[in-house]
Amino acid sequence: MLIQQFLELNARSFPGKEAVVNLGERMTYRQLDEGANKLANSLIARGINPGDRVGILVESSIDYVISFFGVLKAGGVVVGLNTDTTSRILRSVLSDCSASAIIVRHNLLHHLAELACDLPDLHLVITDGDYGKLECANKLTVEKYKEILERGNMENPGVARKGGDLATVMYTSGTTGDPKGVMLTHRNLEANTDSIVEYLQLTADDKVMDILPLYYSYGLSLLLTHMRVGGTIVVDTRFAFPNVILELMANEKVTGFAGVPTTFAILMNRSNFKKYTWNHLRYMTQAGGPMAPALTSRLIEAVPNVKLVIMYGQTEASARLSYLEHEKVIEKLGSIGKGIPGVTLTVRDEEGNACTPGIVGEIVAEGENIMVGYWNRPDETQRVLKADGLHTGDLAKSDEDGYLFIVGRNSEMIKSGAHRISPKEIEEIILEHEAVAETAVVGRRDPILGEAICAVVVLRDGFVVSEKDIIIHCSRNLPTFKVPKFVQFAHSLPKTQSGKVQRVRIKDSINE
Amino acid sequence: MDIRASIRGFIYDNFMLARSNHELLDSDSLFDKGVIDSTGVLELVGFIEENFKIAVADEELTPDNLDTINNLVEYIQRKKGAPYANTAIS
Repeated sequence: MLIQQFLELNARSFPGKEAVVNLGERMTYRQLDEGANKLANSLIARGINPGDRVGILVESSIDYVISFFGVLKAGGVVVGLNTDTTSRILRSVLSDCSASAIIVRHNLLHHLAELACDLPDLHLVITDGDYGKLECANKLTVEKYKEILERGNMENPGVARKGGDLATVMYTSGTTGDPKGVMLTHRNLEANTDSIVEYLQLTADDKVMDILPLYYSYGLSLLLTHMRVGGTIVVDTRFAFPNVILELMANEKVTGFAGVPTTFAILMNRSNFKKYTWNHLRYMTQAGGPMAPALTSRLIEAVPNVKLVIMYGQTEASARLSYLEHEKVIEKLGSIGKGIPGVTLTVRDEEGNACTPGIVGEIVAEGENIMVGYWNRPDETQRVLKADGLHTGDLAKSDEDGYLFIVGRNSEMIKSGAHRISPKEIEEIILEHEAVAETAVVGRRDPILGEAICAVVVLRDGFVVSEKDIIIHCSRNLPTFKVPKFVQFAHSLPKTQSGKVQRVRIKDSINE
Repeated sequence: MDIRASIRGFIYDNFMLARSNHELLDSDSLFDKGVIDSTGVLELVGFIEENFKIAVADEELTPDNLDTINNLVEYIQRKKGAPYANTAIS
């Protein structure tokens, strides 16, 4: 089945049912399907062919959902883009995937203005903004988003695609510093969606509160699972003010809520969460990195009538790989559970042998949800996709009952909030500062973020700069979530005999 | 330093360094402008509590109190119980 058929089937079965709610706007399945058809027909008429990559630079909203399904209906491949971005990152991603078109929100158009002329494959821009700002607008076809939705052809274009065709390329931080495009097919996403629907027992009566960005695999999985079952997704990213979201959850009578550890730390420590009775809330899911067991216990105590499901996954797995059912969360505190339906997880040693319980090895995953590879990166693909499955880079051990416990990562990625961040990418930017001789970026323990970014910097002889100078330099070249929170100066960095920086030693000393 | 200048200084130093091209008015939404996110709000609250010696209750973490510089100034004045007037940039 194709992902857009989730929407099309429900537009026939429940045309008047609410599919998406966002900031007071409510859209039914029929309206959503019609909007996506209009956008798809417009994309096709402007030369978008099956398999073409189309960027979506729009905040999580009804327009994002229309754009997502519109691109798929045109036979295109969705490249969801983080709106907290820089022109530099956009250039890197859009040129890497040779995007043919981009749908972009007016307040983000300035990023594109700086680089649209340098992207040879980009020929179509759809925006609700002032496209006069695009210097090379004459080389591009620029369409007005609102006009397309008002006047477009609402017939289903019916572009022929197969389950094995690409549906999306999701960019994620790589250990080398450059973002890598995770290629996911319609079949990958369908398999993962069906599996999540099964273990969460989702039905058309479910209504989920989505505070997570839709370009992020966890956020996208909320959309796809609810479109699959004919449920409703309430999209609202104003979690900066958690009480606003809590009130909305109560008013909308949502049945589900999804968060990352930071979300639950904020809910438990700085919100009115515990003051509500949550009669309608059936379950909460937690993914996006390990949550402190003490916080998990407090959460369950605070809302004993709501099921908490712990989950684990990677973008490379279309989102989800394992889950720990509510009934086992306390008994197996700290565990990520077992493989989700259709997924086999095995802990393997360096020789590829399955580890016995208690022995630490790497989690290797098999299932129809596993990506087909990284876009344009055969070597990186070969490094993680092997004959026995996806090598996750996560180190774990199982107990006698087969429940998995993560004990660390064998990569140096920083996990801050919901983001996986490459130290290398930040180090490369810091090294561009004329005063910097060398640097190492590591995660520093943080009660809310999990890890906060800390840069240890060695200056070149004769240079004097402040911490703020380094942060300003990073702010100019990195999205906010990648800018170090802390900068420490050092005379030198510890290295191995071969001269490799010992990031682990630095991290240990920072966290002492 | 007055409340408005102090708040403005904190926001610029912590969330808006190197973004001089994005002017922030006292009436602009810090969230809509992408200046703060959920952890940014907590940093801001920590600063307010420490700098102005007030306790911010959980139920007070709302846009009405914290989402613009104007709202922040009014909120802090209310909490401190001191009338305060200053020139806003709007």
